[in-house]
Amino acid sequence: MNRRTFIKNTSLAAGAVYAPAMLHGLSSDEIILGHNNKRYKIDTQWSKINAAQYPVKDCHEMVQDKLGRIILLTNETKNNVIIYDKSGKLINTWGTEYPGAHGLTLFNENGADVLFICDNNRHQVIKTTIDGRVLLTLNYPKETGQYTKAEEYIPTETIIAPNGDIYVADGYGKDFIIQYDAQGNYIRHFGGRGDGDRFLLNAHGICIDNRDKNKPCLITTSRMQNAFKRFTMEGIYIDTIPLPGAWVCRPVIKGDYLYAAVLQTNARQWDKSGFVIVLDKNYKVVSNIGGNLPAYNNNIPEEMYQTIKVFQYPHDVCVDDEENLYIAQWNSGQAYPYKLMPV
Amino acid sequence: MKKTLLLIFIFTAHYCFAQQQFQLATPLLKYRSMFFADTTSFTINFNQPGTTVHYTLNGEEPTEKDPLYKKRITIAKRTIVKAKAFSNNFSASETVTAEFIKDGKKIKQVSFSKPNEAYSTTNTEILNDNIGGNMNLKSGTWLGYNNDTVEINIELAKKQNMHAVLVNILQDEGSWIFLPAQIQVNSYDEKLKAFIPTGTAVFLSDSVSPKQCKAVEIEFSKKVNTAKLQLLIQPLKKIPGWHAAKGNHAWLFIDEIKVY
Repeated sequence: MNRRTFIKNTSLAAGAVYAPAMLHGLSSDEIILGHNNKRYKIDTQWSKINAAQYPVKDCHEMVQDKLGRIILLTNETKNNVIIYDKSGKLINTWGTEYPGAHGLTLFNENGADVLFICDNNRHQVIKTTIDGRVLLTLNYPKETGQYTKAEEYIPTETIIAPNGDIYVADGYGKDFIIQYDAQGNYIRHFGGRGDGDRFLLNAHGICIDNRDKNKPCLITTSRMQNAFKRFTMEGIYIDTIPLPGAWVCRPVIKGDYLYAAVLQTNARQWDKSGFVIVLDKNYKVVSNIGGNLPAYNNNIPEEMYQTIKVFQYPHDVCVDDEENLYIAQWNSGQAYPYKLMPV
Repeated sequence: MKKTLLLIFIFTAHYCFAQQQFQLATPLLKYRSMFFADTTSFTINFNQPGTTVHYTLNGEEPTEKDPLYKKRITIAKRTIVKAKAFSNNFSASETVTAEFIKDGKKIKQVSFSKPNEAYSTTNTEILNDNIGGNMNLKSGTWLGYNNDTVEINIELAKKQNMHAVLVNILQDEGSWIFLPAQIQVNSYDEKLKAFIPTGTAVFLSDSVSPKQCKAVEIEFSKKVNTAKLQLLIQPLKKIPGWHAAKGNHAWLFIDEIKVY
């Protein structure tokens, strides 16, 4: 070809240029993150365990047991459950049979702590003792009439009511919430996908909000809708808590506050854009750890986004008895949990 | 002098051995479309106390000496915007870049071969509606193809001189969306009653690219006087060896065309 050709290629739009960062700024042990009365110092080296000996893949969820120990669930089958003390020292590990370990919920059953594990790969919910002995296994919920095979059911979370009823969120399956009694007998299901407020999209988490003792309710995640949705304990839709931009994971209530990991933001999807959100009793955002504090217009917060790259893809928050936070992260380079101490 | 050296040492040591430092996230550049007719505007969202956002409109990398972003900015000509967040407590953010592209010659209509059904449209003006430049491939502004030879015919309002065509293409390799292998531009010659070759662009996808929009401008080998242009775009037939989906047919996504 003897024609001269000129091509002008112009790089465009967000995030295209990766200039090396200037090395200045405070180290992580000097900075304070968050807003209002929910501000924290961070320890990214909290976990003191040997990565070669006790590896993790995704760190999915964490809870604290009645002995004060911090329990981590990972989908690494060398040690699905890692038990720490609050200083990050290893106490124990167990579990090799949970390749899709995702949801971890603790329930005090007549004085004894029991765990509920949601396994994405096994399409099951497994109830165990605190040291891993299996007590009950829930298979895919045929009784709902909504499922024809186990693969359609990918449970992500459970919450246990004071009467022992088990609520399972099928957050990577069909987005139903399935309610069972304490023995695992099907009671009802609700949620699922559809057009309308009472439906869910990526029902990734669920908890019981009993801050108003007279009116306990369920809070479910509708992550791809960037919202929490409230239901009565019988599954009647109450209302939606919109959180624009924020891919919220499970709600975690401690004291007067609701905490949640925000996996990532709409503004930068699949780009390690997560942070941690804290809502007050009225479901108003009071602090975003690593994100912007939104202004409210007509009771709706403005779009939220990451402002400091503290986290990559945070997946769960555990709040301990001293109000410290532990943050487990998904797909973040096998990072062990970080600890945040209130200031 | 000794004191200065000691201070330098302490400074260096502090920043080398510090536990970990955090970087500011990239500011959000908000705009309706990167294409516009007369004027357009953008805002920058970055609400983090103790930080400032500085920007440039000339394509240069922003520094703290460049203008401080305060409020919505209006532009009236083709402009490359770059913005970056700075703070004493955190390392500076990466730079966010957007180019805003102004209308060229008046286009009467653009017809295009049938896209994949999942990324199709009923909007016949999708390639000349001045709406585009977002990176959400499901936003409804994109046409997506995973077949060979995409043909696009551009008809201008009248016969006139022109020297270049611009095509906005999505690069999102994680979603198997690549630049095409080649774009051939033909212009209609009334005497010959046929399209004749007018320009070619060839693209190599031999290394990883960030997710971005790429406004590819193809200058013609010489000015032409016509009312009709034809683009023959060859999507990449095989995803290259460095990619997890190597060997598969790549996707092509386009959302806007301009003629100059």
